[in-house]
Amino acid sequence: MRLKKLLVANRGEIAVRVIRACREQGIATVAVFSEADREALHVLMADEAYPIGPPPATESYLKIDTLVDVARRAGADAVHPGYGFLAENARFAEACVAAGLTFVGPPPAAIRAMGDKTSARKIARDMKVPMVPGTLEAIASDDEARTTAAQIGYPVMLKAAMGGGGKGMRLVRSESELAGALRAARSEAGAAFGDTSVYLERAVVEPRHVEIQVLADAHGGIVHLGERECSIQRRHQKLIEESPSPCVDAGLRARMGEAACRVAKAAGYVNAGTVEFLMDAERNFYFLEMNTRLQVEHPVTEMVTGIDLVREQLRIAAGEPLGYAQQDVTWKGWAIECRINAEDPFGGWLPSPGTITGLRAASGPGVREDSGAYEGYTVPRFYDTLMAKLIVWGADRATAIERMLRALGEYKVVGVRTTIPALERIIGHPDFRAGRLSTALLERILPGLRAHEGRHASIALIAAVLAEYARTRRAAPEAGLPEAGPSAWARAARPGARG
Amino acid sequence: MKYVATLDGTGHVVEVAGGDGRYRLTIGDDVWEVDARLTAQGIYSLLIGGVSYVADVVDREGTCLVDVGGEAYEVLVEEQTRWIIRTRGGAAGAGAGQTVRAPLPGKITHVAVRPGDRVQAGDTLVVIEAMKMENEFKAAAAGAITEVRVSVGQAVNPGDVMVVLE
Repeated sequence: MRLKKLLVANRGEIAVRVIRACREQGIATVAVFSEADREALHVLMADEAYPIGPPPATESYLKIDTLVDVARRAGADAVHPGYGFLAENARFAEACVAAGLTFVGPPPAAIRAMGDKTSARKIARDMKVPMVPGTLEAIASDDEARTTAAQIGYPVMLKAAMGGGGKGMRLVRSESELAGALRAARSEAGAAFGDTSVYLERAVVEPRHVEIQVLADAHGGIVHLGERECSIQRRHQKLIEESPSPCVDAGLRARMGEAACRVAKAAGYVNAGTVEFLMDAERNFYFLEMNTRLQVEHPVTEMVTGIDLVREQLRIAAGEPLGYAQQDVTWKGWAIECRINAEDPFGGWLPSPGTITGLRAASGPGVREDSGAYEGYTVPRFYDTLMAKLIVWGADRATAIERMLRALGEYKVVGVRTTIPALERIIGHPDFRAGRLSTALLERILPGLRAHEGRHASIALIAAVLAEYARTRRAAPEAGLPEAGPSAWARAARPGARG
Repeated sequence: MKYVATLDGTGHVVEVAGGDGRYRLTIGDDVWEVDARLTAQGIYSLLIGGVSYVADVVDREGTCLVDVGGEAYEVLVEEQTRWIIRTRGGAAGAGAGQTVRAPLPGKITHVAVRPGDRVQAGDTLVVIEAMKMENEFKAAAAGAITEVRVSVGQAVNPGDVMVVLE
């Protein structure tokens, strides 16, 4: 079976990523868009695009019936869910299959088995994959939570059974915090996932977050593509990812990869998936959960393995065998990804929607940009703040770090605030450079993060005054600053140069 | 043109001259020769003594947000007269010793003292209308008025002596 026309049930950079993979394989693409996304890049890039409703996702990108209907009417034969929205919704996968559409992702049963974190933990236990001590069932009452927490020992972590992305998660340091945290986690889980079930596990202090990418075909073939280090998180939201991990060697990679494949196989998994592990200071790893979709951070794996994950997803969905085995998978060099979010790192990390008046993305050797933005694009206020992902590859970690610093310095966004200046500070931090990573690292670095250290105060004054001077003179008949065309810019400027 | 650029609560007087991409800026005792190009919307290329800087400038509610060299600055830029009105319109007009000079161009709308009057610190001396705002100039310290050189309706320029105290 060959896929001919695919509907991308998503938006933003991931929709663009999927469209690119389709185009390279001669698959026609159908975009969908909410009223807020008429001018979004994925709409501009797809072969066809259809409106699906008002801006709130619940009225557009989460409308299963609408999406299936659009796919059918556009004559699509496949649907790619991207990540987020309906990507891990078994009912959506079922609806696609029922409508005769190929769902580019795992079978609904596998989504269901892994989507409920308590059932996923049972599978991991049965497969003898190490797990953080905790409950295998959702917590029924406050009393049960108290008893169980006392048994496994504080600190404990409360997690939404249907959760993901850090929502519905609460660290509980002592019994006095338990009742309040339980209430908060339940209400957050209910709002985010429509299910208030939470479970409990021992909190690993300052853990690393390391995940394994797996690829499984429909013929029993399965490989892992090594790990991604995702410890750099702010409030459980990943900000920087890399592959390989500075704390994983070949032996550990093989053990973790083998464990991940065992879990995926037991769940009847097909297509690309990710098994997440926590790692303690002694490099013991514990099964956390399985994400039954493409991850935001998949490009770092692509950069070090040379395997195009979306292409593989499409091939697998079309019924093709992997065509290679574990020993054929090799890793080369080091890749780092930074998430460029429309957030103000110096203003409480609040979302910063608005129009991008100026944009110059980074490029050059070893640099990849997966973006959903362009100059003149207005970042809507309704969705995730992820605007673009900047990925670099280097022969080793030190090279990749220097390259990322160089690329971040080149990347200019005017009009909305972004995470770029914070990313530069984190990547350049001695702990990051030394590979001393943990999920607690940002909690230590960020409070000391200042908008500036005064290194360029005079230049800032000059630029601001010249901007005002130009404005004043534009109002007057004679012109202000000359506007350079692109060619003059290319000739005259060394972008990203610093003083 | 003279501006006051306020960064982190400190005002810096910046004088700008020139045009067509070449500017001379004077900040305090420092003179900066700047070759500037406004490229894409808000992305500036500055060549200063051969050193290349790229600064992103966006105007947000009157404050310039400037990103340069991985640092983010918020700079409020005002024409100097406007800055004076905003910051000194009330109190410190008579600050510099015995002679009260007009700090900005405008029109005298009120003269509150006559020669021989005794004033206390904070008493209004004159009112200047400038940029559609009435700006009161007050005595910085107690003293006796020896001279009043302005009258209502008169235009004044910066530096003009308005009142002399003893």
